[in-house]
Amino acid sequence: MRELSLNVMDIAQNSISARATLITLRVEEDVREDVLSITVEDNGCGMTPQQVQHVIDPFYTTRTTRSVGLGVPLFKMEAEMTGGDFTIRSQVGEGTALTARFKPSSVDMIPLGDINGTLQLLITCNPDLDFLYTRSYRGETGEKREFSLSTRELREVLGEEVPLDSPDVALWIRDYLKEQTQELLGLS
Amino acid sequence: MQIKEMAERCGWKLLCGKAGEEREAEGCYIGDLLSWVMSRAGENNVWLTVMGNINAIAVAALTEVSAIVLTESASLDEEAKNRAETQGIPVYSCEENTYDTAVKVYEMLK
Repeated sequence: MRELSLNVMDIAQNSISARATLITLRVEEDVREDVLSITVEDNGCGMTPQQVQHVIDPFYTTRTTRSVGLGVPLFKMEAEMTGGDFTIRSQVGEGTALTARFKPSSVDMIPLGDINGTLQLLITCNPDLDFLYTRSYRGETGEKREFSLSTRELREVLGEEVPLDSPDVALWIRDYLKEQTQELLGLS
Repeated sequence: MQIKEMAERCGWKLLCGKAGEEREAEGCYIGDLLSWVMSRAGENNVWLTVMGNINAIAVAALTEVSAIVLTESASLDEEAKNRAETQGIPVYSCEENTYDTAVKVYEMLK
């Protein structure tokens, strides 16, 4: 896809289809190691080892479960095209974790894109689900910085009456993500 | 025009998917970004690309293009070849680049 954040949206939709109540998204960047790693983890229904094999096979997915689509095969391919790798772990009844590691210096690297927008859309469109987002960055100096956004913590602060899809909350989330990302990447 | 006739006249080499060679070729689509092609290539288009992996075969199956033409002798991996064969999707190879190939396709479809 043109942006990795679009892949993330697609993958997260699989987690939602798997009836997850908590979706964890981690975006970890290490400039010195030349790695950008994206992990999507859920507590959904999980898959058998056989189903996991099928998920990375585009033909199985396009033929029988159209909703899964080419999302996982494309994500895997995009990581491998940069010289990175892709792993998927799943346990029935426990959930699924999927990690794609990219080599950002590769000419075939696809830009991360608007990951904050993706996260915001996921939260706003699924106000009853919980999301935990962590983004970390280790620059040339070797110092690692990170920030996170937890909808569980947000709920505790806001109380039961304020839904996560209310306009004020959506705006706050947008600004928070923007500010934290700029600070993390040293852009502010 | 059948894709088989177009391939012969353009000098493309069939790599696999002989069973689908009688499909009609109507129009042409060019692209290597699979997710992009997936939502844009039309049925019975001749698809020019350099992507010869299994995901490309899946995109061809989804969009129902008439054939894949791998330009600049881009390689077709074994897994993709087997799938294209089972699916009856013709995959051709040619040495010209995508532009020159597209010009030929244009002439054929005129």
